[in-house]
Amino acid sequence: MLIRLIVPGEYARVEDLNASLEAVLNRHGMARAIRDDVRLIVEELASNAIDYGGEPAAGTAQHELSVDISIEGDLLHLEFRDTGAPFDPLSAPEPDLDAEIQDRAIGGLGVYLIRQLAHRITYQRIDASNVLRVSLRIPQPESEP
Amino acid sequence: MSLEITLLPPGQGSQRVTVAGRLDTHTYEDLDEALAPLMTPQLHSLVLDLSQLEYISSAGIRSIFKARKTLAAHGGKVLVVNPQPQIQKVFDVVKAVPLNDIFGSTAEADAYLDAMQRKVLQGDDSD
Repeated sequence: MLIRLIVPGEYARVEDLNASLEAVLNRHGMARAIRDDVRLIVEELASNAIDYGGEPAAGTAQHELSVDISIEGDLLHLEFRDTGAPFDPLSAPEPDLDAEIQDRAIGGLGVYLIRQLAHRITYQRIDASNVLRVSLRIPQPESEP
Repeated sequence: MSLEITLLPPGQGSQRVTVAGRLDTHTYEDLDEALAPLMTPQLHSLVLDLSQLEYISSAGIRSIFKARKTLAAHGGKVLVVNPQPQIQKVFDVVKAVPLNDIFGSTAEADAYLDAMQRKVLQGDDSD
């Protein structure tokens, strides 16, 4: 495992989380494109958990968000856990991308984006947590060193 | 990092706005607030110059959709200039803006606006 970070589910901490992930990925030579993908995935999942996670468990002020990242060959595995209400993002309906702008829904794009970026994605409810595992293909450098 | 929004002097029915930094969950409300007073029925083209925008998430796309919806109600449009790779990728995936409304440079967008302006003037006999 490369890194595991756990933060309280509040917006200000999501930025800290992403700043730390960015630094670690940078140090491991991950290109800008994949760092941006990780940032997007973490931001979208964290926002969903904070906005729709419901009441945190008794005795806690916020839900807990945790991110694990590991690298295996040309794949980056990201595991996102949140202690919010059970929610399988993979069950969300796909947005209609070809509707006229007036008829287009303004939400639902975050999960759709993650699904399009991911090489593989699975959801499980484990104990009291939503666990989403996302694998991203690490682009192989062609001309850059 | 935050978002830096600059409103340029308005043109004839058009307004250029440069958006620099990150347009995400933390900053999209700043853009919504900055754009709201510009959204008059007189505004036909809102030109978003994204040359210096480094990152966008779905929260930022929602802001752009809001602007597109508001302007579309009176036949106006959002034009986008010079989106960087991450932004172009997200735009492509969710079809955020029609390809015809994305320009490589402000010069290209200006040429398009000038051509539209000429068409309006030629087609308008009332004044």
